[in-house]
Amino acid sequence: MDELFQDIQKLAQAEKRVAMATLVTTRGTSPKREGAKMWVGEEGRILGSVTIGGCVDARVIAESEKVLSSSEPRLVEMKLADEDAWEIGFSCAGDLDVLIEPVDLANPNGNVFDLYRTVQTAVDRGRRAVIATSLKDSSLKLLIVEGEEVSGTLGTPALDSEAQSVATDLMRKRRSGTVSLGPDSLPVFFEVHGPPPTLIVFGAGHVSMPLVSLAHDLGLKTIVVDGRPRFATRERFPDVDELLIGIPSEIAETLAYTSSTFVVLTAHDYKYDLPVLKVVLPAKPAYVGLLGSKRRGAAIKEFLKDGGMDESLLNQLHVPTGLDIGADSASEIALSILAETVAIKSGRGK
Amino acid sequence: MPVLYSDLLLDHFRHPRNYGSLEAPDVSYEAFNPLCGDRIRIEVKLDNEIISEARFKGDGCAISMAAASLLTELIVGKEMISDEELISALQSDIQPARIQCAILPLTALRDGLEHR
Repeated sequence: MDELFQDIQKLAQAEKRVAMATLVTTRGTSPKREGAKMWVGEEGRILGSVTIGGCVDARVIAESEKVLSSSEPRLVEMKLADEDAWEIGFSCAGDLDVLIEPVDLANPNGNVFDLYRTVQTAVDRGRRAVIATSLKDSSLKLLIVEGEEVSGTLGTPALDSEAQSVATDLMRKRRSGTVSLGPDSLPVFFEVHGPPPTLIVFGAGHVSMPLVSLAHDLGLKTIVVDGRPRFATRERFPDVDELLIGIPSEIAETLAYTSSTFVVLTAHDYKYDLPVLKVVLPAKPAYVGLLGSKRRGAAIKEFLKDGGMDESLLNQLHVPTGLDIGADSASEIALSILAETVAIKSGRGK
Repeated sequence: MPVLYSDLLLDHFRHPRNYGSLEAPDVSYEAFNPLCGDRIRIEVKLDNEIISEARFKGDGCAISMAAASLLTELIVGKEMISDEELISALQSDIQPARIQCAILPLTALRDGLEHR
């Protein structure tokens, strides 16, 4: 999502009007997921892509120019036969719907650009947001920001209400997509935005170093927490975004936990594990993993249970952390942990 | 002969007394063990150099947490207690290698009083 906001900012400096092309529906396989965007500026600048490039994107560019000329949005259906797909090297052969809307960057008040600025503000505050757009009339939009009043409308209160339920579900899955609403099966595209996934690592030991480097390469924001200044150093963690030294459980209380937050405890020491888990498990991040054996995990859970922690929270603890890939070295353990977080992120984790 | 970890030590570890912070403390000081990672912050209020209230926060081993909890009880009404008094109050067989853990909260308090 950062990339989207960066693209808008870049274009706003150079273009007055752009066409925003959004991949809203895919049927069959597709190289990009719903929500992929391409921007075509009035002055000819192009950013992003709704496919893997080539002829399909070329057609989107041509359609975008028509949208800019007419100032009317349009929904473009691209029905690729398998032969065509083969011919143009588009190996996925899926059918696509792309919504193309004109965006006035010079006069943002009240238009789509303004809507995205509102979304960016929400995301910067750590909240998730969904823009629901009617594909029959893309001027009908409903903005749903986590924990805030909705704004806009899809046409009727009943549709708005149904859209809020769908948005809540899609926020949880972190997945954009088109859903039919109401008795007339109105197609509505739900564009989901949220804070970037964050990995919080408690413990600055030897497993944490490759864990943070790999997480950085995977595009996660990373935070390392430890009480030991000799371990939590920039030299040991050159890629880390934040290095926090202090009482770990106290720092844990100050951090934000969302459905995009992954927490891994690598200290392998009850003095950190117990107090940090008391804070982190009730905050319900996307994932909490604990380095250690099943036996050690059972003992930690037993202690927390004796202290009054709810069984349902304890069941959220992944211990041993990571997928069972036979990991041995610190780097392999880091890989197994991140493999599990990727599985959770894409809805395939347990 | 004291046991390795007395019931009293374990009780203070599992149910720490005076855990938390004071509003406007006269002394707030953090001490840590650079290798094992125990980190304890002691906060106290003073009345003519006599400690009238004490709180602590921290993440540490059973010995250091229990020692901090006990210290906040023992220190009220006094200016200071000795290392021996605190270690003895734990009623446990604290091995030489773990003395550092037991006196970490006292170190925080002494350094805090000195640096105020």
